[in-house]
Amino acid sequence: MENGPVSCLPTTPKMSKAKKVIEEALENQNPELDLADKGVVSFEEMPGLIDMHNITRITLSHNKIQKVPPGIANLTQLEMLNLFNNHIEELPVSLSSMPKLRILNVGMNRLDSLPRGFGAFAVLEVLDLTYNNLSETSLPGNFFMLETLRALYLGDNDFETIPPEIGQLKNLQILVLRENDLIDIPKEIGYLPRLRELHIQANRLTVLPPELGNLDLFGNKSVLRMDFNPWVAPIADQLQVGVSHVIDYIRSETYRYLHNRHIAARGPPPPKLNDKTRKISRNRQYS
Amino acid sequence: MPGVTMSFSNMSCSRCGDGFDPHDKIVNSQGELWHPQCFVCSQCFRPFPDGLFYEFEGRKYCEHDFQVLFAPCCGKCGEFVIGRVIKAMSASWHPACFCCAVCNKELADRGFVRNRNRALCHECNAADKAVLSGRHICFKCHGVIDDKPLRFRGEVYHGYHFNCTACGVELNSDARELKHRSGYTANEMNELYCLRCHDKMGIPICGACRRPIEERVVTALGKHWHVEHFVCAKCEKPFLGHRHYERKGLAYCETHYHQLFGNLCFVCNQVIGGDVFTALNKAWCVHHFACSFCDQKMTQKTKFYECDLKPACKKCYEKFPSEFRRRLRKAYDNTPKKSTSA
Repeated sequence: MENGPVSCLPTTPKMSKAKKVIEEALENQNPELDLADKGVVSFEEMPGLIDMHNITRITLSHNKIQKVPPGIANLTQLEMLNLFNNHIEELPVSLSSMPKLRILNVGMNRLDSLPRGFGAFAVLEVLDLTYNNLSETSLPGNFFMLETLRALYLGDNDFETIPPEIGQLKNLQILVLRENDLIDIPKEIGYLPRLRELHIQANRLTVLPPELGNLDLFGNKSVLRMDFNPWVAPIADQLQVGVSHVIDYIRSETYRYLHNRHIAARGPPPPKLNDKTRKISRNRQYS
Repeated sequence: MPGVTMSFSNMSCSRCGDGFDPHDKIVNSQGELWHPQCFVCSQCFRPFPDGLFYEFEGRKYCEHDFQVLFAPCCGKCGEFVIGRVIKAMSASWHPACFCCAVCNKELADRGFVRNRNRALCHECNAADKAVLSGRHICFKCHGVIDDKPLRFRGEVYHGYHFNCTACGVELNSDARELKHRSGYTANEMNELYCLRCHDKMGIPICGACRRPIEERVVTALGKHWHVEHFVCAKCEKPFLGHRHYERKGLAYCETHYHQLFGNLCFVCNQVIGGDVFTALNKAWCVHHFACSFCDQKMTQKTKFYECDLKPACKKCYEKFPSEFRRRLRKAYDNTPKKSTSA
């Protein structure tokens, strides 16, 4: 530290950019750090960052970070952490102990699992895990303990089913399951009292649980996106006319009957349709 | 003459009993004789002014003493009552002084009713009783109005005294008084219409009290309102021209609208007090409207792309892998064109 700017790490112009932002923030007591697209490869290039205890937001999107150090949990004032579009393959267990973290964006990384105890966040409200390699088997046991969660982004992953425990997320308003390999969605989603955005397009869904009719997905403040699924003919027909017709339809007694019959006589699931080989999340170093 | 002489010696003064000298003057009053000096007031012993006296129980009094001793005083003006005396309400009165305590009509020849120690004419008494029992008295016939009164030019009436100005039908209490020239406080121009004709004239009816609106009309929520009846559905205070917020057919003041349904900022999850950015089924406060992917602040004018109903700035969109952009485009092309995209 006494040596000041002198460092034994190789200095590149990009790296000094990140350092400059941190130094400026320290000088101005600015609690928000904008480090998007600074060519950062490792947290080690940003000494001092881990000691900025008053920091409330760090944005590190569009970098090449592979590893998030456990020490990040020392930033106890941190409310927003944005790591979108990096090369992260693993998150530290300590992350979920951050007491004030409300918004976590780890979208477009290379995660194929979540750390043990990930559901322990005290106040997490928005969790973005879009565009990773996650599936139902990568969720830790306590994942659905995230009761404060109001938005969960799981689009562009490899889920084939969603555990019924999702019904525990009583505050969930937004659920994105776009472009997974879902064969089914659990009826428990129909009991999420505050849900107003449901994205289930481009999966392998054939029927919807009739319980989804409970949701108030009608209003102009609500969205249901469900295109690009191999729907059974009656649902596909209604969808042609509009999503509101689908909701009307699945609320009917006719549909309840059809759904039961369909579940009873269900054949093999439709084939996987999404070609994921080109996804950059597949570029894992050690897979 | 001898008769006169005869009687002359037999005559004596009615007061002192002495005879009369032939040269004396004699006062004769109603067959009784007096010495002039004996023909005086029984009270003050002075001659009667102008010879005028009053007699009471065989004694004669001058006017002044008679009044002092025996004449009644008027209960109202305190003067002696000479002539016709009205005895009523345990006092005496000049006929002109005994009047109805309400309308001041003379009561002497009409009869009166004692009402809470006042003398009232029959009409005023009836009105007084009606007011006490909560009923109205028709301003025209002074009869009690049994059902609802018709209010007209500031008074109450039986409806049946009037006819509709338009169709002539006999009116009832539902009739509406119309101020022909709004803004005029004087109501002499007002006219009465039956409910049907009134409605046909297109007078706006207040959505709250269902009464016609004759002054300023507030039009909101597809209805008309009296200014003072257009109120917040929560606190019931009138907006009085202040901004109101509508939701599900109800109007709210700013405070309660935000309290109840406030736009919560997607980032800070707090009620948005000031300006609101609304897009992609979400709202943001001024501080937090930013690209969801790089957190760069955006303004109303910033163009952005949509990904899972989150805003992506142009820079971020261009950093998306091309295979992802292709999928986004495909999804965008498939949606009905209402969602926002740059």
